[in-house]
Amino acid sequence: MQFPILTSLVVLPIAGAACLFLVRDDERHAPLVRNIALVVSALVFADTLLLWSRFNAASGDFQFIERHAWIPTFGISYVVGVDGISLLLLVLTGFLTPLALLGSWESIQRKTRAFCIVVLLLESAMMGVFISLDLFLFYVFWDAMLIPMYFLIGIWGYERRVYAAVKFILYTLGGSVLMLLAILSLASLHNAATGSYSFDLQKIYALQIPQSQQGWLFLAFALAFAIKVPIFPFHTWLPDAHVEAPTAGSVILAGVLLKMGTYGFVRFAFPLFPDAAAQFAPYLAVLAVIGIVYGALVAMVQPDMKKLVAYSSVSHLGFVVLGICAMDTQGVQGAVYQMLSHGVSTGGLFLVVGMLVDRRHTRLISEYGGLKKVMPHLVAAFLILTLASIGLPGLSGFVGEFLILLGVFRWSPPLATVAATGVILSATYMLWMFQRVNYGPVTNEKNTGLRDLSPREWAILVPILAVAVLMGVMPNLFLRPIEPSVNRMLNQIHAVAPVRVQVSHQPPAASHQPPSSN
Amino acid sequence: MPSSLNAIVPMACVTAAAIAAMVAEAFREPGERMPIGPLGVIGLAGAAIASIALWHHNATSFGVVAADKFGLFVTGILIIIGVLSLAISAPAIERERLPQGEYYALMLFALAGMMLMATATDLLVIFLALEVLSLAVYVLTGIRRDSPVATEAAFKYFLLGAFSSAFFLYGIAFTYGLTGSTRLDRVGSLIAAQAMAPTPMQLIAVGLLIVGFAFKVSAVPFHMWTPDAYEGASPAVTGFMSTGVKAAAFAAFFRVFLAAFDPLHAVWWEVVWVMAAATMIVGTVVGVAQTSVKRMLAYSSIAHGGYLLVALVSANDAAKGAVLFYLLAYAVTNIGAFGVITLMENTDGDRPNDQIRDFAGLWNEHPALAALMTIFLLSLGGFPPTAGFIAKWYVFTAAVNAGYYWLAIIGVLTSVISVFFYLRIVVMMYMTPSDTPARFPLVPRIAGAALVVSAVIIVYLGVLPARVLDWAVASISSIF
Repeated sequence: MQFPILTSLVVLPIAGAACLFLVRDDERHAPLVRNIALVVSALVFADTLLLWSRFNAASGDFQFIERHAWIPTFGISYVVGVDGISLLLLVLTGFLTPLALLGSWESIQRKTRAFCIVVLLLESAMMGVFISLDLFLFYVFWDAMLIPMYFLIGIWGYERRVYAAVKFILYTLGGSVLMLLAILSLASLHNAATGSYSFDLQKIYALQIPQSQQGWLFLAFALAFAIKVPIFPFHTWLPDAHVEAPTAGSVILAGVLLKMGTYGFVRFAFPLFPDAAAQFAPYLAVLAVIGIVYGALVAMVQPDMKKLVAYSSVSHLGFVVLGICAMDTQGVQGAVYQMLSHGVSTGGLFLVVGMLVDRRHTRLISEYGGLKKVMPHLVAAFLILTLASIGLPGLSGFVGEFLILLGVFRWSPPLATVAATGVILSATYMLWMFQRVNYGPVTNEKNTGLRDLSPREWAILVPILAVAVLMGVMPNLFLRPIEPSVNRMLNQIHAVAPVRVQVSHQPPAASHQPPSSN
Repeated sequence: MPSSLNAIVPMACVTAAAIAAMVAEAFREPGERMPIGPLGVIGLAGAAIASIALWHHNATSFGVVAADKFGLFVTGILIIIGVLSLAISAPAIERERLPQGEYYALMLFALAGMMLMATATDLLVIFLALEVLSLAVYVLTGIRRDSPVATEAAFKYFLLGAFSSAFFLYGIAFTYGLTGSTRLDRVGSLIAAQAMAPTPMQLIAVGLLIVGFAFKVSAVPFHMWTPDAYEGASPAVTGFMSTGVKAAAFAAFFRVFLAAFDPLHAVWWEVVWVMAAATMIVGTVVGVAQTSVKRMLAYSSIAHGGYLLVALVSANDAAKGAVLFYLLAYAVTNIGAFGVITLMENTDGDRPNDQIRDFAGLWNEHPALAALMTIFLLSLGGFPPTAGFIAKWYVFTAAVNAGYYWLAIIGVLTSVISVFFYLRIVVMMYMTPSDTPARFPLVPRIAGAALVVSAVIIVYLGVLPARVLDWAVASISSIF
């Protein structure tokens, strides 16, 4: 039997968490606990890299499939597999988790063991979401993931942590329960068509879902994902959760959790219901564009750094959704790339902000100023991440946004035009924040004696910066595994729904040219 | 033993244990400690062995008690409820100085009544069983004689219970008038043979029976007694009656309405639909406003009754399997939650600790107890990977398959609301510092073990439900 590498991604963190239960929970053992958690999460990352190295990038099909009966009476099985889209999200999860742990090395002094257990369980659930190829299994991971995140925000967060945690869980749950009903209906449809229940994604892909049913099923899925992304106007939980969460929580939330929403659109909502997707995509795209501009404008006036980065996520993820809605190779590829890039740059920004907060215990921009003179290294890293987030060519953010705008422009120039203003706005709010924090004279006395990066912080920032640059200069490294999978998914959509609802006046032929590799 | 008695062996074991408990208490020297609780466990173990032996045999006794798989599955749930309840009762008995012989005997008699109710196939026997269990539970509710709250609760429960019994009996009378029989199979075939359009007599019979059952399963609008009774009784008793009575009553409710009155489904589904929706909504919405944990869990158990009614309305194969799995999941979960409350009362202070804010800081004081309570609450809220999730999923599967989409939507949305109040306790335990001096709940070994067993069952049913689901599915094919 082949080594079940995907299952190992889920099991390894759980096993690590179980090990931690054996360590005594007191002050003296806290360093040991942290080290075990770090080693385990580093092993998981190595595991994801191993997966990548063995992944056949030329194929768009699901690979490393494992299949075991779970609840056979209802056709529920444990089916896992990866394609290019989920592969890199797994790598991203594996990459960010050890960094999140390292980022909380000193700031988490209370209940360290429980903290590490919660982070590892969260990692396991996130891995599970990305590898599930059975709708029931997917839902289980999707919901189970809420519990550790809830504890992470609620126990280790800042002042309004309880409010933020409860809001987070109720919003997300409220969206996802309707998806559960939609999943049940799909199994029921499968039963009506073939005589047996099945939650197997690939079997349900093959199902002809009547157009009359697709509408509400799509909306039920889309609502769950829209809240998670979050798409305007479902975003109100996000600033609270981001701001109140501890650094590790913000990093994982921004870096991985939000991607589950967009991943859900790519993997489930669009391919399962192509007709409905074609029908609703324009509306979704309009909401995405509103989110891009609105998020950017609101980010501009935030006095709180974490809140600013949180609203910038609303804006950046608007791009991702927009790219998916374009439903062409560039758009979707760009969307997937932007998911990765946003994970790296925003995760990195939260880590840097976390370092500042560790030193000064405040997130207010007005409390800082002139840091460049005090902490040149930290500020240099801050600058690179800021530029990556803005989308400066040569850094990670550029590739994704460029591809998305390219794809969207072919579909609908007006939407692309409005969305492009988001790029300018992001430069405005990010650079303005950066300027107020880092340039000028040191106005606040408390900032004078701050120490620069410690070795631990170097260890966090170097990998992040390296990846941000790598994604900017060698996009093909990441695009190559993505492309076949994106094309397979698009073929699947367009095979069923060849007629695309046009919102633009472009000639229809232009919107679906054969995929050009880049 | 004549084979016609086989079907009543499980409840006979429990009854024997109950009588033994009474006798033991009668001959107990004042101050002598006697292991009466273990006596009950022995009786329940006997019932369990008998049930396993009967599993494939479809035995019937006197034509009115059927030990079919459905009945035996519920009997199994009742045995689990019994063992867990006996285990968590000990600290309460100790603390409140309750008369332990009577307490255990009443609990065992109630269990025997519940088992009879789950296996009875004759309306009169169901009534008999209902009275056996109800009388025992009324007394158990008020067994804290020096507590005015408990006495009031018992009195309320008794009055309303007696009232509902009258409805039930009247319903039986009308059914008899209609068909000339009280046996469910004959009632069913005669009703099926009667005219297509429902007659007034049929409507009255069905209506009265629904009211009778609705009282027992505390469905809205017949739920008024529930919060008072659950709050007034000792939490160990509440855990017992909120699960046991519900399991037995729902088993009979299903048997009567899906075996005998199935031909009239078109008549009663609308009523039960409305009741199910109202029960889920009222249970969760009013639950949000509670400050007492016991009252909150009382409303939560009302809401869970609503989910079971969803299964009843759906009335398909999935629904029948769902109700069995749901009852099991709900039983272990709710007893666990009330077990924690029992232990919370069992602190070295003299306050009952039954307000939500009394859970503040429990994680610091007793992390294991807090972790167990978290598992129970997550299961009540229906989070994966717990039994509560699989149970809810199964019920909603039934509703979706039967085409009751709106009921399913109400169900999932109310379960989100319910998460809000379950999480209030979690917030208290983990995220709120205690404002009182630290209390250390004393956890007796047996009660602690019972809670751990409940938690293990919950996680097992949540992660690997296939086997038990298959049993549930097999159980429904034996009747209906």
